[in-house]
Amino acid sequence: MTQYIVLFFQFCKFSVLCFGGGYMLIPLLTAEFVDREGVLTMDQFGNLLSVAQVTPGPVGLNTATYVGFVNGGFFGSLAASLGLIAPTIVIGCSAAAGIARWKDKFVVRGMLKGTRLAAVALIMFAVTIFFGMSIFTGAIPWESFGALFRLQRPVLPEGFGVSPSGVLICGTVIVLMVKSKLPTTVLLLGSAAAGALLSVFL
Amino acid sequence: MDESGTMSTPKRLWLLYSSFFRITALVVGGGLAMLPVIEEIFVVKRKLLTREELLDMTALTQTVPGIIAVNSAVYIGMKVAGVPGALAAVAGAFTPPFTVILIIASLFPRLDPHNRYLLGAFAGIRACVTGMILVTGARMFRRTVKTRLECAVVLIFFVLAILKVNPALLILAAIPFGWCYVWWQTRRLEQAAKSAGSEAETASNESASAGNGAGEDRS
Repeated sequence: MTQYIVLFFQFCKFSVLCFGGGYMLIPLLTAEFVDREGVLTMDQFGNLLSVAQVTPGPVGLNTATYVGFVNGGFFGSLAASLGLIAPTIVIGCSAAAGIARWKDKFVVRGMLKGTRLAAVALIMFAVTIFFGMSIFTGAIPWESFGALFRLQRPVLPEGFGVSPSGVLICGTVIVLMVKSKLPTTVLLLGSAAAGALLSVFL
Repeated sequence: MDESGTMSTPKRLWLLYSSFFRITALVVGGGLAMLPVIEEIFVVKRKLLTREELLDMTALTQTVPGIIAVNSAVYIGMKVAGVPGALAAVAGAFTPPFTVILIIASLFPRLDPHNRYLLGAFAGIRACVTGMILVTGARMFRRTVKTRLECAVVLIFFVLAILKVNPALLILAAIPFGWCYVWWQTRRLEQAAKSAGSEAETASNESASAGNGAGEDRS
């Protein structure tokens, strides 16, 4: 029972801290479940995010349901996703009108400015996490780059390299997103097909 | 809620539940991707919201914490039928993803972990998501970061995140920083406004650019 309560409050915390949409959950979730608790490996987390992306529905809610399931089955899912929703309902219902009126007030303006800058930084960080799961064949070895400060050549860990199909697909997606207005569904399904095909040749 | 005043409360609640059920059941990608669908149902077809209200809501759902889809459900639900409306909309948004993910999550361990096509497809999706987050992040960066100081702050937060500082702490630390920053900015503007003559022009330019900074809340 306690594990469900813990999950619920963990996701309440994520929800309150989640300024700027679902992608913000990525750094929060990796810090909690991959780095601190170790209940998920980075690879599992990557697969889980992929599933959350291609299934319909908000990515944040999908991810919470999935992480909850891995942590504690059906009731884990329920606890996690309700945890993600509960603060929103409370904040939303009590402030639906309020925040619009306070928007120009100093307290709200300062808070938004600060959290937004942090959100940009954390999404950039989420990109580096994803680089380690798609463009490169392993997490980015930041520790090795420490050698650069000592003016030494960084030693890359065994098995770290560039994944050609990852570079190809990611590059195509970026170009398509910038140049065209293709819906994300098309991009995701196309990438899945391309990945399956490329796995034969590469 | 003038034209829609004829609609009874249970009907409204059902409309909210079924609409958000449909939206989260069909829209892949979540968050802002569902905005056009919301507009079609609530603004164009049912006339329960005006375009302006929807625009305000979009800005609001991105500024309060929480995932955007649930935030939108809460605000639209509140607008259309008060607190029960918010609960109905959230319940509708919650049902499909919860069910679908539960089914997938319980099937996932049974999938062959060595099937190369399957692994390839997942690698493809990850690469796609990498590109999508990169583009989203770049757009957010362009919208949010206006000055060199802000750019430096973002970089510092980024490096701290790489150094494994807990992201939750970073967000909490950003709030008092934001207060100091806005206070300092306002004071600088006031001082600039006080100085006379030719400098008044530059001050008005500056306040104009600060106005742009505030206007970015709406985009």
